Amino acid sequence: MKAKVLVVVFAIMVAVGVCSMASAAEVVVGALNDMTGATSDVGKDYALGVAEAINYCNDNGGVNGKPIKLIQFDYGYRVPEALTKYKLFQRMKAVAIEGWGTGDTEALAPTVTADKMPYVSASYSGHLADPKKTPYNLFAATDYSTNARATLTAWFDKRWPKHADFGKRKPRFACSYQASSPYASAPIKAIKDQATLLGFDIGPDQDVSLVAIDTKSQILAMKDFKPDVVWHGNTTMSVSATLRDAYALGLGADHIINLWGFDENLPRLAEKAAEGAMAATVNAFYGENTPMMPKVVEYAKKFNPGVPQEKRLSRTIQGWSNVLALWEAMKRADKAGDLTGEGILKKGFETMQEFDLGLGGAKLTYTSTDHRVSGKVPVYEYKDGKFQLVQVTDLKGRWPDKWQSWLGW
Amino acid sequence: MSTTFLPCGEYHQNYRKDHAWWQTKFIKGKMVLMMLVLFIGIPSVADPYWLSVCNQIGYTALGALGVQLLIGFCGQVTLGHAAFLAVGAYTSTLMILEFPWPKVLMDLGLAYPISIFIAAIVAGIWCVLFGLPSAKVKGFYLILTTMAAQFITVDFVITQYISQIGGRGQAFSLPPGTIKIGPWVIDSDLKVYFMMIVLVILLTAAVVNLLRSRVGRAWVAIRDNDISAEVMGINVVQYKLFAFFVAGFIGGVAGAFWISNLAAISPEHFPWFWSLWLVGVILIGGVGSVHGTIFGSIFMVVVMELLQMAVIPLAASYPKLLMDFLFIKEAAFGLAICAFMIFEPNGLAYRWWQTKNYFNLWPFSY
Repeated sequence: MKAKVLVVVFAIMVAVGVCSMASAAEVVVGALNDMTGATSDVGKDYALGVAEAINYCNDNGGVNGKPIKLIQFDYGYRVPEALTKYKLFQRMKAVAIEGWGTGDTEALAPTVTADKMPYVSASYSGHLADPKKTPYNLFAATDYSTNARATLTAWFDKRWPKHADFGKRKPRFACSYQASSPYASAPIKAIKDQATLLGFDIGPDQDVSLVAIDTKSQILAMKDFKPDVVWHGNTTMSVSATLRDAYALGLGADHIINLWGFDENLPRLAEKAAEGAMAATVNAFYGENTPMMPKVVEYAKKFNPGVPQEKRLSRTIQGWSNVLALWEAMKRADKAGDLTGEGILKKGFETMQEFDLGLGGAKLTYTSTDHRVSGKVPVYEYKDGKFQLVQVTDLKGRWPDKWQSWLGW
Repeated sequence: MSTTFLPCGEYHQNYRKDHAWWQTKFIKGKMVLMMLVLFIGIPSVADPYWLSVCNQIGYTALGALGVQLLIGFCGQVTLGHAAFLAVGAYTSTLMILEFPWPKVLMDLGLAYPISIFIAAIVAGIWCVLFGLPSAKVKGFYLILTTMAAQFITVDFVITQYISQIGGRGQAFSLPPGTIKIGPWVIDSDLKVYFMMIVLVILLTAAVVNLLRSRVGRAWVAIRDNDISAEVMGINVVQYKLFAFFVAGFIGGVAGAFWISNLAAISPEHFPWFWSLWLVGVILIGGVGSVHGTIFGSIFMVVVMELLQMAVIPLAASYPKLLMDFLFIKEAAFGLAICAFMIFEPNGLAYRWWQTKNYFNLWPFSY
């Protein structure tokens, strides 16, 4: 009897779910997040940030009075899962999507282009920044390739001149990342091009899993090349394991890291080995002094009181950035009477000029020919127990003749 | 279990009739009805979301069919089948993107169909390579050698070498319009659906036919007792390797089909978990049953989607439920396997067989 009641309840819930659609007064936004998969070490905090930011938007009028309904799914970093979820978002009449990984974002790019669905991803792959190829893919941050070039340049400017071998030989450079991950490998071509441009010797790549906890064999292999600087393309957990092993085995190289491997957890996990690590950052760290930070902290405390403040990361801010950028675009499109995918892109995003989100990131400029938000990238290092600005690398200003040709790398 | 009782009063008087595909007019009628549902009913009522769910069922069924053949009919346990799907997908993609096709074949839209066939052959041969240890080892040891297929194929060969072709690194883009069969560009869920249905029907029929042949009987003999099979004069190694080839061939078709549903392909599309999932599909559907493969695929995909649907109404009050759904899904997968192992070890196919026989023998079902 109980089983029958359960089956009936389940059937009713399914029926309601199948028939559920957005009401006319709501603006549906879908979100794909990774809370359980290979990138969940950074994905959890980002997902919390997205949900909290949507609450903030709704508390501040939604989209010109229309509340935003967030449909947020954890897809466990599985690409086939992401494809089905995308269809489900469409079925639920989502007007835009907050996406996650590079693999699924790139896999969906032609589909979102055909469907004219703005797709604001946490993947900042440079391949998604060229509107000629992927007009509906956007993100409120400088892209991986730009960041990689900027960080290597900052190391070359600030660290290499202090090296004992400066002027005697070329600096040596190597990369450590999961080669099978489109996220980790996205900026490889760009950073190696930058290394060639700056006159580095480039060593063999080391394949390190996104879920690696032991990387000694890769570090030992790297020692043969004796790199002066190593670029790490994975996320925080894997990068901290690599840094620890490099420290323990005396690799003797400096470390530069892609932004998803560089957050408040890095020094917690890598401890002394994190000292001196550098990365381009796209936002302020959690709790830093920026105009919007009090709101970020307030909403984190209000909606996720169970997550201790000291555990919150800069990923929260990245989630907020993408949501606030989309919110602004939707408000502009709605004001222009065109809250459609095309409207959000053309009358929303592509009307933003030096738009400041107040979260310590680059001021956003999107044009119909270039979705890279900025050519200026702040590069930070972890030194003496805190994150400190090393320099703002102005790639556009320094290589104006090359800047345009780097689009879409 | 494979024997289904005929409706009351039906008797066969010769072997030809006994071995016929559709033995009675009623069965023929059921098949025609099923075809009408598949080719007209579903496409006319399903929206893009449900079509994508159907496509996922088809992809799962195609992948699981090879696993069923190996585990269910030949007794060769495999836990690396995603690797052969990857080989099929990558071979087809590379052929479409890089092979210098004669203009006439491109104009006729034959590049993709030919690439599917070549991909299947390559995947079949690749599968045979990893089936070679089956000549010497079985059971747990064979599981480990098949798992090696995943690591060697996807994590090493495809990631380190194949993905680097063209210089992009990792993901191959499949620009819109690339996947074309004859004059039809496969660019919508509906077209992918029709392609999936045709492939599932063709391959299922092929496997069922093989199982009715000398080859199929040899596989079943090996599964039941390989020593007895050898004593009976069956070349065990040869038939095992042929089973690996056919399983790889089907996996290759599945992989090559799946690219029609994607705009880019990367090694991340073929995780080891997918091999495990395919084994779960046949365990739930029924080991040693072709029907079971289809039922298992439908169960694994549709039940998970329905669970998702059931969660949506609650999300208004408990928004975190949507995010926590993956935990529910993983738990449901594990729970379903445990429940089937305990309560219905023969899988959904056995239930289907019981139900069918009940009606066939009605009103004399004793």
